[in-house]
Amino acid sequence: MSEQDNESFEMRSRALFQDSVDGLDMRIRSRLTQARSAALSAAHRGRPWFLDWKIWTPAAGVTAAAILGVSLWIGTPIGHHSATDAQSNFEDLDLVASTDEGSGDAMDMLQDDIEFYDFADKAANSGPAA
Amino acid sequence: MARFDTLNRAWMVWDNPAPAPEGAVLEYTRELEKFLAEIERRAFRMAQVALRDPDDALDVVQDAMLKLTRSYASRPSAEWRPLFYRILENGIRDLQRRRTVRKRVMTWMPGPKEDPDNEAQDPLENVADAAPTIPERLMQAQAMQRLEESLRALPARQREAFMLRNFEGMDVAETANAMACSEGSVKTHYSRAVHALREQLGEVW
Repeated sequence: MSEQDNESFEMRSRALFQDSVDGLDMRIRSRLTQARSAALSAAHRGRPWFLDWKIWTPAAGVTAAAILGVSLWIGTPIGHHSATDAQSNFEDLDLVASTDEGSGDAMDMLQDDIEFYDFADKAANSGPAA
Repeated sequence: MARFDTLNRAWMVWDNPAPAPEGAVLEYTRELEKFLAEIERRAFRMAQVALRDPDDALDVVQDAMLKLTRSYASRPSAEWRPLFYRILENGIRDLQRRRTVRKRVMTWMPGPKEDPDNEAQDPLENVADAAPTIPERLMQAQAMQRLEESLRALPARQREAFMLRNFEGMDVAETANAMACSEGSVKTHYSRAVHALREQLGEVW
């Protein structure tokens, strides 16, 4: 099968096909015209309003914000626990290091006790008081 | 460049979402109508070659027109033809699949059996018998009928490549776009189709 034979085969088949297209009956032609008109009027109408993304975008934004707000209100975010722990550690350190009266009592008492025991020890060694 | 054009149009739509002016809509509607009017008969015949039934062919062509106008009308007009034929071929393939499934189901269902002679009948046969024509015209109709039968016997991709390249006159790049494959594949499918058709139809045809 030569290249030239192929070309003549292609030309003949194309011509036959075109003849069959030209010979289409009126019923088919009319139905094709109707189909074309229907397609073009559908293009004019466009999509139904509920399929338009522009309508749904604000609603989607509001919904997302509402869901986020509710989840923040009800749920506890993951980072929240570690922040609380850190805060309570700082509070403990504050209590220990604080120098106000309430929290320094234990240290003062300990200091007083050492002085008392030191005095009692000296008194016992020096013999009975006169 | 076509891609950049499409991108520019998309940005224009994004930046300026106001509806296109009436004049512009009318212009592209007119252009679209011209395109569809030019293509519809050939598209119908191609669908008929693949599906055999004229009503099914009309349905898939109408469906392809609707999908093109609804979803791709705003695309550059140079893209319409490959897009249209891609939609059309998808429609043809879907219908053929549905037919195969229906056939399988029907073989399990009790009922009157189909007449195999009736099934094999081609509508063009009836046309030729009903209307007496001059011998040359009759010979042409018979030749076309044989070509159609041979085309139906081809694998779908080869048939597609042959019809788009030869009947629709698309170049390799356009055909590749319509068939969603590489240009190399188009060349291979087309060459195999020509070879197979010539073998089936013989040297005399």
